[in-house]
Amino acid sequence: MRRKVKRIIVYVFAAFWTVMTIFPLLLTLMNSLKDNAEITLGMLSFPTKLLWSNYLSAFSDAHILQAILNSLIFAVSSTVLTIFMGMLAAYILSRKKFIGRNIIYTAFLIGVMVPIHCTIIPISSMATAVHGKNESWFLILVYTAFALPQAIFLFTGYMDGVSKELDDAAKIDGCGEGRLLFNVLMPVCVPIISTEAILAFVAGYGELIFGMILMSDQDKYTIARAMLTFSGSYQISYGPIFACIILAVIPMVVLYLLFHEKVQEGMLTGAIKG
Amino acid sequence: MKKKVYSKLTIIIFLAPALIMLVAFILYPVCNTIYLSFNEWKGIYGSPVTFVGLKNYIDVLKSDSFWQSMLNSVFFMIGGFCILMPLSFGLALLITSKLRGTKFMKTAFFMPVMLSTTAVALIWVYLLNPSFGAVNQILNTAGLEGLAKDWLSTPGLNIWCVILVNEWMYAGYNMLIFAAGLVSIPSDVYEAAKLDGCTGIKQLRYISIPLSRESFKIFSVLCVTGCLKAFDLVWAMTKGGPNHTSEVPATLLYNEAFTFKYFGKSSSIGVLLLILGIILSVMLNNFFKKED
Repeated sequence: MRRKVKRIIVYVFAAFWTVMTIFPLLLTLMNSLKDNAEITLGMLSFPTKLLWSNYLSAFSDAHILQAILNSLIFAVSSTVLTIFMGMLAAYILSRKKFIGRNIIYTAFLIGVMVPIHCTIIPISSMATAVHGKNESWFLILVYTAFALPQAIFLFTGYMDGVSKELDDAAKIDGCGEGRLLFNVLMPVCVPIISTEAILAFVAGYGELIFGMILMSDQDKYTIARAMLTFSGSYQISYGPIFACIILAVIPMVVLYLLFHEKVQEGMLTGAIKG
Repeated sequence: MKKKVYSKLTIIIFLAPALIMLVAFILYPVCNTIYLSFNEWKGIYGSPVTFVGLKNYIDVLKSDSFWQSMLNSVFFMIGGFCILMPLSFGLALLITSKLRGTKFMKTAFFMPVMLSTTAVALIWVYLLNPSFGAVNQILNTAGLEGLAKDWLSTPGLNIWCVILVNEWMYAGYNMLIFAAGLVSIPSDVYEAAKLDGCTGIKQLRYISIPLSRESFKIFSVLCVTGCLKAFDLVWAMTKGGPNHTSEVPATLLYNEAFTFKYFGKSSSIGVLLLILGIILSVMLNNFFKKED
């Protein structure tokens, strides 16, 4: 009897949280297809007829596709840069002995710990000084800079575990440093690289604060900024806002559903070792 | 000889990009923030910077909104340890149990963290909307009209709404941390305990929780540093208002700088945050070291 009660409690808890996680998304999807009169009557009702025009006005009024594209470009480019620069630095930190190695490594560790909010004012003035405001390259560099310390930390740790015999063999075959790193070591490090790629991409796509400070042209808005501006501006109809939210989360949801095991593993590694 | 020079050159060339990024975008800005915190500056590029000593710090420490934001940070931490921790540990027990459908649950529970904070914030802003939001509608249909509120505009209540959304978002993420700890407990420990009559709650009390120490440690560090850094969710849900009631230090810092143009004062909040972060990390580390 007691066992049965316990089992019921466990199942109720499981069902409760499953509903809790899925229901808000489902409601948003439902309301993205309703007209304003239906929404203001209450969010819980099903749409009587599917109003796809909400999505059209999300495209035309909120320029949401442009914003999604911007965020994807920023996220992908900063991820690629992070991996490239991170691998270069990690290779040196893991394979070479030189004076000052520990200082440099510690400096990167400090970089992991610095909260980004302590840097927003200087970075904003820096952007003005180098004409980096509203420029994609500057924002991409900022994203890269904040993803790099953790990348270097993860890469160096992983590379330390890769046998040096591999290097020696490659060197005997006449491999230079660059080829050794990119053709020999890089394939071995694929697991940790994909982990970091997920971390950097997720962080870049959802980033809010630098996108707000550095980008003021509407056609350079990040997705976070575009959503906030659109929902904050005087809006007579709510349907397009819900449509915006749904469109904004689609890239991430697709990525997650395709690679959920890898994504979970990656985020976990980031949490434990970061 | 030539080889040595070549090797040194490689070191410099390979390290330079990452080092330049680190110095330019993290180390230099932090130093600059520390410098600015002792000065007054209107934030216009090229405008004069005047030294004012500790005035910014005194202003900040005297202002009510700063202490309100610190209190809200403490609420964030209380929420983290009293709601998020038991919730995610419970979820971790659930998905590591022998129930059916754990794979589906794991995938579903983790989803919110992937949605990006702004989207999560906006979803909940509308769910909590006082006139048509789903939360009030559910309360009304359940006959609890008295509980229906203007959630995000009521001082004292709004910050807790943000905190609960924060727990909603990160429950699945922290669940993974605890689950990783739980699956690493060898199954013969459980079997031995079962022989000694240790099951159910007792098993939880004497095996699962004590042997998940490492996970609790990771959770605590992430929770404390995460609470100090909370910005996106608060900003997207309430912007710190109404009347600074839901402000956290990071939103206060942002508002002081980019809304009110007090860049010196804002910088001093940044420095205080940095110092607090370091102190709390060191304290946590010592706490867990002593227990070892």
